[in-house]
Amino acid sequence: MLASFGKTFWIFAGFALVMGILTHNILGPELFHEALSNDIDHLLGIMPRVIAALTLAGFIWILMPRDKFSQLVGRYRGIKGLMLAALAGFITPGGPSAAFPFLAIIARAGADRGVMVAYITSWAILGIQRILVWDLPFMGAEITVTRFLISIPLPIIAGLIAQRLPLTLTIGEEENKPTP
Amino acid sequence: MNIVMIIIYIMPVALGIYAYSRGDDSFKKGLTRGLEQFIIIVPRMICALIAAEFMAMLIPTEVISQFLGDEAGIIAILIGALTGMMVPSGPVISFSIAATFANAGASTPAVIAFLTAWSIFSAHRILIYEIPLLGVSFFKVRSISVLILPVLAGVFTMLSTSLLSLLSG
Repeated sequence: MLASFGKTFWIFAGFALVMGILTHNILGPELFHEALSNDIDHLLGIMPRVIAALTLAGFIWILMPRDKFSQLVGRYRGIKGLMLAALAGFITPGGPSAAFPFLAIIARAGADRGVMVAYITSWAILGIQRILVWDLPFMGAEITVTRFLISIPLPIIAGLIAQRLPLTLTIGEEENKPTP
Repeated sequence: MNIVMIIIYIMPVALGIYAYSRGDDSFKKGLTRGLEQFIIIVPRMICALIAAEFMAMLIPTEVISQFLGDEAGIIAILIGALTGMMVPSGPVISFSIAATFANAGASTPAVIAFLTAWSIFSAHRILIYEIPLLGVSFFKVRSISVLILPVLAGVFTMLSTSLLSLLSG
């Protein structure tokens, strides 16, 4: 259970504490308690999905022929890779409990960083499910169509920037290394 | 219970049955791997959710919407983008805020900048999924790569709107 309480845990815990103190002191104890009870509802709501997603990711991790998959993912690098990644993000259904485990898998299979950034950006801003379920009912057709059309080039721009950033990318943290 | 949720629940069961039917130790290894990730992720997720809920309450939506009108131009886009980056919650709250902005007279480019910024920077997703699953290093590379996108989205919207109004005379 030591892994539960690594460095990032304490960063998150400290952040939650600061936000809690701010809410309590600025907005008062009533809203503070309301936020906490919302948290419990929210947590119970997403826990089944998180368990399903992590179980799925666990089985995929063990069953996937990673060598072959790496070759497949590694083959797509240049602009064609970015366009395919953007297309994949557009059609990936479901919320973050589906998209991020998939991203983690292609990351560990050695995908190009531009491809990874283009994929998750496309899923976040162009994901077809989110547009149909959220954008259209809340914002109406005009804003939705405008936002969709002007956003099409954005994942590719992000991928091109990612490929050119002079930063080293290491996947996972020292405390969160994948089991071989 | 929509179709995507059904798939999310059926997939692990189907893969579990397949892993079990292989007769090697894939089933046990898969479950162990899932459990290890659970132990690492869930405590962080609880803290992240608590922080996100407080942050959502601390953001003054009504005050901000006064600065998002058409006359504010690029400034409205920048404020919309900054606000979107700070909304840490799921789509229910962020789309309600976006609708509030639109109804309060915010310009379309500002609303689109807001939605784009929230989509790519929502803190709950970063805290719950991105950093636990991919690490801080990927988060850094990605956030620098996408930093300009909300403003680009707003500017593209502004340009396309003026282009359309030019064309239609």
